[in-house]
Amino acid sequence: MLINTRKVCLLLSRQYTTKAKRSLLMQDKSKILTYTPKVSDPKKRRVYAWGFQETGALGLQTNIKKSKERYTEMVHHPTRMQFSVNTDISDIAAGYGFSAFAVERSDGQTLFGSGLNTDSQLGFQVKGTFKDPKKLDVLIYPTPINLPRLEHETDADMKIRCMSAGRAHLVVVTQNGTIFSMGNNSYGQCGRAIIENEDYRGSALIHRIYEKEICGGNDDIVSVVCGQDHTMFLTRLGSVYTCGWGADGQTGKGNYETNGVIAQAKGDINGEHIVKLACASDCVLAINEKGDVFGWGNSEYGQLDDSENAETQVSTPRALALTKGIGKIQDIAAGGSFCMALNEEGLVYTWGYGILGFGPYVEQTSKPQQLLPPLFGRNDFSDQTTVVSIGCGVFHMGAINSDGDLFMWGKNRFGHLGLGHKKDQFFPFKTAVNGKVIKVAFGVDHTLALCRPFM
Amino acid sequence: MEITLALLKPHAVRNVYAFQQIQQILQKNFKILHTKEVHITKEISEHFYAEHKGKFFYNRLVTFMGSGPCYAFVLQSKNCIAKWRELMGPTKVYKAVYSHPDCIRALYGLSDTRNACHGSDSEESAVREISIIFPELNKNQLTAAES
Repeated sequence: MLINTRKVCLLLSRQYTTKAKRSLLMQDKSKILTYTPKVSDPKKRRVYAWGFQETGALGLQTNIKKSKERYTEMVHHPTRMQFSVNTDISDIAAGYGFSAFAVERSDGQTLFGSGLNTDSQLGFQVKGTFKDPKKLDVLIYPTPINLPRLEHETDADMKIRCMSAGRAHLVVVTQNGTIFSMGNNSYGQCGRAIIENEDYRGSALIHRIYEKEICGGNDDIVSVVCGQDHTMFLTRLGSVYTCGWGADGQTGKGNYETNGVIAQAKGDINGEHIVKLACASDCVLAINEKGDVFGWGNSEYGQLDDSENAETQVSTPRALALTKGIGKIQDIAAGGSFCMALNEEGLVYTWGYGILGFGPYVEQTSKPQQLLPPLFGRNDFSDQTTVVSIGCGVFHMGAINSDGDLFMWGKNRFGHLGLGHKKDQFFPFKTAVNGKVIKVAFGVDHTLALCRPFM
Repeated sequence: MEITLALLKPHAVRNVYAFQQIQQILQKNFKILHTKEVHITKEISEHFYAEHKGKFFYNRLVTFMGSGPCYAFVLQSKNCIAKWRELMGPTKVYKAVYSHPDCIRALYGLSDTRNACHGSDSEESAVREISIIFPELNKNQLTAAES
């Protein structure tokens, strides 16, 4: 009996396997699901935003009532902007409580803005009827900024070449070499004459300047950098032209005057081929193609000169002595009370006053100090990783490495480090941005990152 | 009771949220006697900051105050000069953000010059400054309010 059952069992199991084999053979292979990973268009850009939300600069909300219900004055995680999903964004800029986006769209709009508009820094924005317009002081979602066009100017002409935002003004340069400036001009930072008691709120004025008026016909403007209340233009041949507030010498024109005349900054940079300018507040750094550093403007914390009895306001650009000996510099950044430099080997140096990245006990160094590469993602498994670009706002610093990771440190004002908490960060720490970071725009209390997808 | 002048500087007035928050702090802590929006011309600010004349930041301060409308408050409370100065925090914003991270200047100041607000430093300067910003109030009224 026992043997019999075993036989039956064997028989059964044999039958079972053969049946399974048969059913597998009979299976319709076209119906088997294959997994294809979703791949994003590598050309597509996405923008992440974090920091202070109440000004609308993050452009994350679409409804005022709803945003009040889910009340959070700050966003301390990098959050993907819905606007960047719908629109191709090519460039970003962040000012004090507002953001600007250069876009490519089929309807011809090339510039969008979001955030504070109390000085019309985002153009003329009204709501309501034509007869009874309500001036909008705050834009919570990116809204088109209409650049006034001449009849012959096409959509391609109006594409943004470069742009920058200050405390309450925005300057953009379009492809055809026209400069548009809007917002507060009480220091002449818009590049036009100062008008006493001008009302900037609800103003429809957008000032137009041609690049040939600034640098002549043989040169063109390649970048614009705004401090809080001044504007600087850098040309292809390496000259620097400035206008705006000069009370700290930040216009570099050899005086402390404030006016809307765009004139060349000379001093030690005269004849040098300047390739980059950096300024977040009132201290300005510049590098030439040889990698030498120049500086002017505010130096109250010894950023430009660490010697005893050094001037605190430098109105004539000078070659900096304190960056000698740290190699050829390829990138620079200047915050409110500190400066940063990145040399050819990808090493980051910081100096000045504030959280410099050396832990909680170092608050001031007068000589540039090096931050170690392992802080920026270099380890045994990726020993080629280096920092490729640096930047800073008034109170915080950041660096992007060759893997497209963003590292932030400094004062965590309204969560603008994007680390998921409100505490200050005393050494570089990776920010969890869901993409490879290409460019970061550092505002005063918010940050924007332009990214491309991982895959 | 003591009175003092609180002056919100142009960039803080422009930041809608900062302005609301500072106003709330004032309402919570002081009795507000007078308030007005004031455009500080170069003449007023030269007069106002006469004590700083000759210092390196004088030109910077004077030109800064004229960059937009300011908002002035006459405040009254017990010991209000010291109280308002404590709420404001240290003058230098770059240092205040680390030493007093919750004060008004650390939260809404931008730089050592753009430090959000001003407060009188003594009883005499309070009366002097109020009479510059509020010329329509006469001195007797002010001293009466103070006693």
